[in-house]
Amino acid sequence: MPRLLLILTLLLPTSAFAELEFSDAWIKNLPPTIPVRAGYMTMHNPGPGTLNVVEVRSEAFASVEIHRSFMQDGMMRMEPVERLEIEAAASVKLEPGGLHLMMMMPHEPTSPGDEIVIFVKLDDGSEQSLKMTVVE
Amino acid sequence: MNKSSIAIVAVLALIGGFLLSLYGYSNRPIELENGLWFGEQARALPEFELIDHRRQKLTRAQLQGQWSLMFFGYTHCPDICPVSLQTLSDMVKAIDDSDVTSALQVYFVSVDPERDSPEILADYVSYFNPDFAGATAELEKLTPLTRSLGIAHALRNKTEGNPVYDVDHSAAIVLINPQAEYAGLFGAPQDAQAMARDMTLIIERNPL
Repeated sequence: MPRLLLILTLLLPTSAFAELEFSDAWIKNLPPTIPVRAGYMTMHNPGPGTLNVVEVRSEAFASVEIHRSFMQDGMMRMEPVERLEIEAAASVKLEPGGLHLMMMMPHEPTSPGDEIVIFVKLDDGSEQSLKMTVVE
Repeated sequence: MNKSSIAIVAVLALIGGFLLSLYGYSNRPIELENGLWFGEQARALPEFELIDHRRQKLTRAQLQGQWSLMFFGYTHCPDICPVSLQTLSDMVKAIDDSDVTSALQVYFVSVDPERDSPEILADYVSYFNPDFAGATAELEKLTPLTRSLGIAHALRNKTEGNPVYDVDHSAAIVLINPQAEYAGLFGAPQDAQAMARDMTLIIERNPL
């Protein structure tokens, strides 16, 4: 039943809302003892208005947050990003050493080649899903 | 001040500047493609004692007779640490001189000893390369080493009993020579191919 619900969710038409386009969506794999993963992707906004990502979630992880790595006082730090703004006709890259998805506590061990569904929610309440590939 | 004393001061300043530039030149680290090579200015490490991923002691004496690259981080670090370890893994694969790779040991030193046991470190480092070593120690024992290498680290939002916290840390990879001296530095972000060429050059010019 949960799987059916998932498929229905994936099939739901969302064209009434402005949409993001996702590419190069991947998750860096780590051994099962390590409870965090980082996810990366490019988010492109083809539309005429700014889009704001306010939430990311996945049924495969206890929590997912958008984080940014940055250098301060000679140290790398991370901070959560509550609202990720993607301007009209622009792209934002989540990439190593910068913006990334902080994916905590996978419910199952991850392996290279796995495809993990995540949901990206905008501030207009719309939600899109995409598949991220786990990479060695 | 009369004209002749102004002239003397000017000449002295010129000579001083010239001498300073010479001194500066001979002390300037040779620029590598992806890092800094300290050359004659390599600094001896202090005594230290860590526990490695096999629960053996790791001391300064054990760094003698090999080239070591050390990266400091923590296993709960999602972004920077996996990227850096992957870079180190790719670097080793990119070195095609087996004399160079056999003279080189890579260490991941955890600055989060509370969560990173030797067993977790063993699991973590071997994921990237079976020959990589992990090590850690209580912060009081770690600090003499990290301080001597200019590696800063700090626990962030750590409260009693809360397992969720970040650790800020330098992202540099440090190079230690076979005399156990701090010999060079690869600042972030590192490039695996360039580091491979740099390490090949360093070790081929300074064989064990």
